[in-house]
Amino acid sequence: MPEPSPSPSKGPSRRSFLAAGLVGAGLALTGCAPSGRSAAVSFYQSKPEVIGYFDELLARFRDERPGIRVAHDVTTDLSAGFARSAPPDLGCSNYNFEIARFVEHGALSDLGDMPEADRVNPDLLPLIGLTASYPGRTSVLPYSLMVAGVLYNREIFDRHGLEVPTTWSELLDVCEALAGAGVTPIYATYTEPWTIGQGLFDYTAGGMVDVTAFFQALAEQGADTGPDSPVSFRNQFREPVERMLTLTRYVNPDAANKGYGDGNLAFARGEAAMYFQGPWALAEIAKTSPELDVGVFPLPMTEDPADRKVRVNVDLALWVPEMSPRQEAARELVSFLLQPDVVDTYNADNLGFGVTTDAPPVTHPALVEVQPYYDAAQFYLGPSQLVPESIPLHNYVQSLVTGADPDTVLRTLDADWARLARRS
Amino acid sequence: MSRRVDVPVTATLLLCTLAVLVPLYVTVTMAFKTGEQAVDGNAFSLPSPATFDALAEAWRLTSFPRAFTVSVLVTLVSVVGTVILSSAASYAVARNWDRRLFRWSFFYLLGAMFLPFPVLALSQVRLTGLVGLDNPAGVAILHVMFQLSFSTLLYTAFLRSLPAELEESARLDGATTWQVFWRLVFPLLAPMSATVGIFAFLASWNDFMMPSMITADPALQTLPVVQNIFQSQFSSNYDVAFASYLMAMAPAIVVYLFTQRWVMSGVTQGAVK
Repeated sequence: MPEPSPSPSKGPSRRSFLAAGLVGAGLALTGCAPSGRSAAVSFYQSKPEVIGYFDELLARFRDERPGIRVAHDVTTDLSAGFARSAPPDLGCSNYNFEIARFVEHGALSDLGDMPEADRVNPDLLPLIGLTASYPGRTSVLPYSLMVAGVLYNREIFDRHGLEVPTTWSELLDVCEALAGAGVTPIYATYTEPWTIGQGLFDYTAGGMVDVTAFFQALAEQGADTGPDSPVSFRNQFREPVERMLTLTRYVNPDAANKGYGDGNLAFARGEAAMYFQGPWALAEIAKTSPELDVGVFPLPMTEDPADRKVRVNVDLALWVPEMSPRQEAARELVSFLLQPDVVDTYNADNLGFGVTTDAPPVTHPALVEVQPYYDAAQFYLGPSQLVPESIPLHNYVQSLVTGADPDTVLRTLDADWARLARRS
Repeated sequence: MSRRVDVPVTATLLLCTLAVLVPLYVTVTMAFKTGEQAVDGNAFSLPSPATFDALAEAWRLTSFPRAFTVSVLVTLVSVVGTVILSSAASYAVARNWDRRLFRWSFFYLLGAMFLPFPVLALSQVRLTGLVGLDNPAGVAILHVMFQLSFSTLLYTAFLRSLPAELEESARLDGATTWQVFWRLVFPLLAPMSATVGIFAFLASWNDFMMPSMITADPALQTLPVVQNIFQSQFSSNYDVAFASYLMAMAPAIVVYLFTQRWVMSGVTQGAVK
């Protein structure tokens, strides 16, 4: 700091006057603002489509338990909340890498002693642990599951006398038959990388690779991952990627300049027979064609029909932060939300699959087709969901479908994985 | 003088105008479309049938009156705070340039220009939480702080162009420093205050990251943060989203219509130095 130079007669008093004024103004502002935290349980849920739905649920909860105040929080920045030691008291969010960080650092409390934890479908536990886990804790309780496969237009299939393919060669036959009849077999939207990652890439890889085993081995291997290691993207993903590129021969020629919205519109208008999107697209398609007869089938990637699997992801999971001062109230809200009639109604309304052992089967006319695969635990987590976001997997996949060399891209992916493992 | 038309310049300007008007047109028409028409892939069509449903839905989802009030208050405090603080600081710096303390404090203030908020986000989140400023008041204060360096730079440059003789004559008449500043210098700074105020207004009104991280109570969030709920990967409710953008844009456009004169003169003022 430079030394203050001698000041004129009135200098210091003026300066201190200003300083005092500033401090005073700051205090006044703080005083006027309502206190940041109220005693209400803050319920964080930010899936835009269902904000209104959860508002109604919370109103019901207030009626049933007048002693507990709850506030619906749709905007909080989670990292900031945890950083200032004031996270939401109960979260209900997509179970992805954002929340995985908090799980792995032990920031979420153990919900394993709640009776609701025993109702969770045991087939799902390995998948939840694969995304993130903390030793000895049940950090999250799943709330809603999305089961995804290939959306297909039943009417187009019927018109051309086609059956749902059960093997890889049947799939290629279906594509050939459709292309021969002048119908676009698959609608792809390459402008938005995530649509390729969760669709073409995940379905082809998930249908051939044992995703859980692969990523467990990859995690153990860590920094040793490379072209010569026993498990690597280059070894195990090579064939799926090649088959994915085979499928790209059957996509709409203008795929490179189409986005998610275009895809929903085109599929809804019957411009293509198949569309690699999850159930979330059904509501968008219904905006244009509510009557469209859509079905779902798992993408067959081998010659054995018994190998067919569907892609799942935990769309919503409940968690209570360790540092929340209102654990008891938050847990009461958890129990309320997981009451069979509440959680089952939510899943039925939002095209989700139940995550509890007592959940009823789905009733949506498209999704009933994939219920058997869910019941038989013939499912996998999308590989694109298991690669940390600091590796731009979706962009790599986009480069693959637009002509990059698979070998180079997969090597890059391995190198990225090893580098990330070395750092953490 | 003949009214000759400079074709290339006019064409370029027309194109530039379109770049602003076309998105604006889409925003306005989209806000009045039905959910079905909004996703039909034809952004330029007129709404048919026109509906106010999207506006009502956006109003409800964003709790518009509340978020709007918070946004207005934060912006107001930050504009007024920026103008007063940085003009006073610049006056002190510009008139005491020969003294080291003031010179260095000027450099110190300028140094803050090289510290963007994302770099300081984590520490700011913790600090504001510790001192109870994790609310819109904290956001407004931080907006003033982050605006301070650039505004001081503008004011200082402008102050140097004001003749010191004016102040001397005021001094001779017995005015104190305080009086000189408020009665003489601050009014003379008006054009630059308009520029600084406009910059502060835009920065504060449009800011997303700072309020989203600093404000703890979701009920006190500003408009841009609340509108983030429309940025969703899996669903496209363009009609509702654009209705809410329209409502958020309207104040800025109205302010611009009324202050156009000062905005134009302010921009050129900033350009000279």
